[in-house]
Order: sequence, then structure tokens, then C-alpha cells
Amino acid sequence: MSITAGDRAPTPAPAVPPGIEVTGLHRSFGAVRALDGVDLVARTGAVTALVGPNGSGKTTLLLVLAGLLVPDGGRVRIAGHDPVTDGPAARARTGWMPDAFGTWDSLTAREVLLTFGAAYRLPREVAAARAAELLETVHLTEYADRPASVLSRGQKQRLGLARALVHRPEVLLLDEPASGLDPRSRVDLRVLLRDLAAAGTTVLVSSHVLAELDEMADDAVFLSGGRTVRPDRGDVPADGAREWRLRALSLTALTAWLDSVGARWRPDDGIGGDGPPGSGGVLLPVAGEESAARLLADAVRAGVPVAGLAPAAGALERAYLTLEEERR
Amino acid sequence: MSASWHGVRTVAVLELRQRVRSTRWVVALVVWFVVVGAITALSWAAIHGLGGGPGVDGGLPEEVFTGPPIFGVVVFFVLFLGLLVSPTLSATSINGDRNAGTLATLQVTMLSPAQIAVGKLLAAWVAALAFLAVSVPFLVLALAAGGVPVVAVVVCLVVLALLLAVVCAIGLGFSALSPRTSGSAVLTFLSVAALTVLSPVVFALTVPAVTQDEPVRVWSVPLDYDWESGEPPECEWRTETMPVFHTERTWWLLAVNPFVILADAAPEARQAATVSDPLAAIRTAVRAARTGPATEQDWCTDTFGSFTSDGTPVAPAQSPVDVPEPDRSVVWPYGLAVELLLGAAGLAVAIRRLSIPQRRLARGTRVA
Ligand SMILES: Nc1ncnc2c1ncn2[C@@H]1O[C@H](COP(=O)(O)OP(=O)(O)OP(=O)(O)O)[C@@H](O)[C@H]1O
Ligand SMILES: [Mg+2]
Repeated sequence: MSITAGDRAPTPAPAVPPGIEVTGLHRSFGAVRALDGVDLVARTGAVTALVGPNGSGKTTLLLVLAGLLVPDGGRVRIAGHDPVTDGPAARARTGWMPDAFGTWDSLTAREVLLTFGAAYRLPREVAAARAAELLETVHLTEYADRPASVLSRGQKQRLGLARALVHRPEVLLLDEPASGLDPRSRVDLRVLLRDLAAAGTTVLVSSHVLAELDEMADDAVFLSGGRTVRPDRGDVPADGAREWRLRALSLTALTAWLDSVGARWRPDDGIGGDGPPGSGGVLLPVAGEESAARLLADAVRAGVPVAGLAPAAGALERAYLTLEEERR
Repeated sequence: MSASWHGVRTVAVLELRQRVRSTRWVVALVVWFVVVGAITALSWAAIHGLGGGPGVDGGLPEEVFTGPPIFGVVVFFVLFLGLLVSPTLSATSINGDRNAGTLATLQVTMLSPAQIAVGKLLAAWVAALAFLAVSVPFLVLALAAGGVPVVAVVVCLVVLALLLAVVCAIGLGFSALSPRTSGSAVLTFLSVAALTVLSPVVFALTVPAVTQDEPVRVWSVPLDYDWESGEPPECEWRTETMPVFHTERTWWLLAVNPFVILADAAPEARQAATVSDPLAAIRTAVRAARTGPATEQDWCTDTFGSFTSDGTPVAPAQSPVDVPEPDRSVVWPYGLAVELLLGAAGLAVAIRRLSIPQRRLARGTRVA
């Protein structure tokens, strides 16, 4: 997981032009500055997480990227095309899934996909094959010929995802796709997005479920108050090292031992649960499970009364919590 | 061309599928059929009842056709119902989709704003044509009553179809302008009402404004004529000052009325002497309004020309006043042109409002 924000280029230098490039984006609604300086790069073939509090401008940003809103200022490139001046070319390459999926009253799930196939100018047979394939992908084959309006919220959400994929977009914009999905569907979504990214699709996905983004996103962009912000880099571990929580019955014994061996640690910020008095935990970077096993063995051997060792909350969540800006 | 037609068809099929599947649609068609049928039956009964029924002694003479009045009533009623129904077919099609969250997903596809707008208009129009199609049997029935040329049925259907297309396009425009479906429906009904009701009302209200006292040459009975003499008067020219209605300045107010357009465009029926034809009556009136007042009037011939005081007919005195030539110039092309322009404006507004990316949003609305 690498965190990209501001003018910082993505960590691995891109060989192909980035799927999404945004610089200095501004957009206001009357007095509300929904976007107030957004810079981001979403790499081709990677899943980029778009994270931010309610009202931070995530949906607005995705609307600009999808070619629905004119930005007041700034530069946008979708697979090299400007959605304002070169709308059709950009839209042909973009798949957009809004946060709420509207349905037509009496169309079946399959007809929805066929209609969008036609709207993207796919030949009829191609559209039919694609619709069947997508219904299979999102596990809606059983519901293919029922009216889409009676589908459950999660089923509608999955249909909305299929709809965004009809024309095999190069750039996929998903606005809270996981909301309303059951755990199984969330896993499916994660696998699907990873597969799409592996096949070269640029995926930008907004969500509030950070643990989930943690598992599927390669990069993350933080929005706050309409601006891309860079979380406090000190808290973000280097690539490959995740933070683990080490708890012991005696916090003093634990910290004394850690200091004696020269380990880098920081106090647990209290999300660790409660134990007997004197007990406590610390957070420290651990590079993989083997290191964790070694750490545990060393601690036990040194006589530290270890009570538990587990991966701490995800990097995204911690980075998120360090953001200065408030919810609005 | 074929690509753009493909897009229009995609949208139209989407819209129609929605409508056809709802049972309300079938119910509406059935209600329409029953109501138009009832009106046809009533007007049939009323007109044949005038004289006790055809063929019966004392009934209408053989050569009087009852077709024109029945046809006129039915065609006007179909237009009336069509004007009521058409706004509901299109007036919520854009803002309704926007509220349902389905419009933006269509807009981001390869469909152009024009394709979406024309597709929606086409779907609404096809639905309106379905209502017209249901009315055709009753027009044919009027045809069977005699006196109505077949071409009149065809012309009336074409004009009806165009007028309903215009109403659909106006509704589409309002549905693109107004964020709320109730707002656009009300605005569409108001504009239809303005065209149909307001147009004759405003025409009537402007009559005083176009009325002037003017000298008019009249061919009249001499002022010193002895009314007891029993002799036919020797009429003479006189100049009288009287109010003159210059409706030739305001006739266009009537011309934009859909009912006037329909009446004026309908080919003349073979005129029957005693039974009135509503289409012909309106046609004559509006053409007279357009012609304006005559500069010379004959007050003599009709009043005194035919009879002496003891009731014996005499040959009418020769009047020097030209018999006013019935105006043959048609009014409907002007009215229809105005209506089509209004429809085009509605469509243009819809296309403009469907263009993305959007710069301005209506207050209190979101794209998604
Ligand atoms: N059409 C609009 N008119 C007025 N204000 C708007 C409009 N759309 C968005 N805003 C405002 O812009 C800001 C950003 O809204 P946006 O929907 O982009 O937030 P978000 O990050 O998607 O929030 P959430 O996480 O709740 O979905 C908010 O303060 C919102 O009130
Ligand atoms: Mg949002």
C-alpha cells in the first residue's frame, strides 16, 4: 500500500500513461467549494482508493471524472482524454457506477444490460453475450429475467456494477460500490476489482470501509474539505511492513524489553480493549508473519508476559484518523 | 445517420417498454376508446334526433348529410382528449428519470443529448399516436354517415398527430427545465391551456382595442323614404360613421389555437343545408376575421329587396355593392408553423439541458 497525495508521483514510475490524471481541480456549488484543489494520479492496472469524510467531495470528483460536471478549474485526463473537450472519447473509456443505482420500473436485469450495451453501440449479439457473462459475474443469472426494480439493495448494487462494466471500460469509477453488499459479495467485489486491475483497468473506488480498501487497493488518495491531503507520513509504515499490536500483562516489562532490543514502537492509542491493571499494548512494524513469529518467540524467551500479537488496524484507517480536517 | 437513429431507437424502446408494461397504459387506452365511443354515439343520436331520425317521415331530408357534424364533434373531442393526455406522456420524462437516478447513467454512455431527447419525444409521440389509432374507428363511422370526404379523415389525423407531437415536445422541454415532475406537468398543461383557451379569450378582449369609428359607405334606404308607401325604396349611397372591427390585425391570436388549426385544415365537407358543421363554422369565422371589415355595406337588398309591404315578392333591386367574396386563403399554415416552432423550442431546450458535462445545476439538485 502506498499513499499518494498532492504533487507526489506514484511510487513505481509508470511505464504506461496513468489512467486518471487530475491537477488543481476546483468545483463549487454556489458558495460550497466541493472541490478545492484536487491532484491525483491513478495508475493503469492498479486499484486506487478514494477516501475522505462525508462531504469531502468524493462523489463530486467522480462526477467530474465521469464527464457529468464541468470543473471550474484544473486539468483532467481520462486515459489521455479530457472529459470536457473530448467528452465522447473519454466516456467511451469510462465506466461509472453512482452511489445509488436507479432502476427503470419494468425492465428486467438482462434488459438493463442489453439497453446499456446498445447505448454503448455494441452489436446486438455481442451485447447479449456480454450481458449473460456479466450476470454470471455478479451472480444475478437467477434474477436475469425479473424486473430490476424488485431486486434487493445489494442485488441492485451488483447490477449497477455489471452495468458499469458492459463496454469493458479502461477506467472504472466506483462510488461506494460495497455499500449494502453482504460479506460474500464484498469478497467477490474485491476479487473482481483485482482481476480487472490485473487485466490493465484503472480502478478508482471510493468507500468508507477502510479495512476493505486496505485489502484491495494499491494506492490511496485522501480527500478532505475538497482537497487532496497527505496524511502524516510518519505514521505510515514502509512498504511491506504492517503494524502489529503486541499486548502484555505488564506494559512496563514489555516496553523495557522492546527498548533493550532497540525495536521501533509507539504506544497503542487505546483501541486495544481492556485488560487487568498494568497491562497494555504497543504498536510496532512487523514485516510479515515470519517476523511476527520470531518477535513472539523472542519476547516469550525474554520473560515478557505476552497476552497477544495481532495485526493492528489497517494502514488506511490509521492514516485516515491522523487527518487534521474534520468531518463536515 | 444510422448510428444516430440506432441511439434514438434505443432510448425510445427503453421508454416504451416501461410504458407498455404498466397496466395503467392499457386501462387508459380502453377508457379512451369508451369515452370517444360514447361521444360519437351521443352526437349521432343528437343529430339524427333533430328531426326524428333519417328516413322517418318528418326527418331530415334525404340529401342532408349527417356526417360533417358528427365528424366535427368527434375530431374536436379527440383533439381535446389528446391535449389532456399528451402532456402526461412527456412532461415527466426527463426530470422523472433524473429523480429516479437513471438519467445520468444514460448520459454517460455514447448516447448524445439529441438522441436521448429525440428518443424520449418519439416514445411519447408513439404513445399519443396509439390514442389516435384507437379513435380511428369512430372517425370512419362519421365517414359512413356521409358527406365527409375520405381525405378529411386523413388530413385531420395528420394534423392531430402533428399537434400532439408539438404538445409532447413542449412537455419534454418543461421536463428538462423544471427539477420537479409536478412543476413540469403543470407548466405543460398551462401552455396547452394558453393555446386553446387563452387564445380566443385574448382575441375577444382585444376587440375593443381594434375597434374604431370610421366612415363606411352604405347602400341604403333614403332617409326620407316613406315607410307607409308600399313602394320598394330607391336605395342610394350614403356615408355613415360606425364602429369597425379591425380583426385583420388580431386574427393570428385565433390562428395559433389547435382547434382552429384543425378546423381550418380539414377539407370542406359537401355542405348540407340545415345541419351545421362545426369545422366549417370555425373555418368561416376565422377566415372572416382575417379578411377584416368590408369598406362598403349593403343595407338595402336583403332588407327590402324581396318583398313589398303587402308580401308580394319583387325582383331584388340591383345592388352596386360587391357581394363579399368568401376568403379562401387558409389560416392553418400560420398556426401550425407557430405550433411547430414551439415544439422545436421545447426539443431544443431539452437537448441543451441534457448536454454534459453540466456547468450549472438546478438549485437543490444533485447529479447523483
Ligand atoms: N449539487 C449540489 N449542490 C450544492 N452542493 C452540493 C452539490 N453536490 C455536492 N454538494 C456539496 O459539496 C460537498 C461535497 O459533496 P460530495 O457529495 O462530493 O461528498 P462525498 O465526499 O461524496 O460525501 P459522502 O461520503 O457522504 O458520499 C458537500 O458539502 C455537499 O453538500
Ligand atoms: Mg458520496
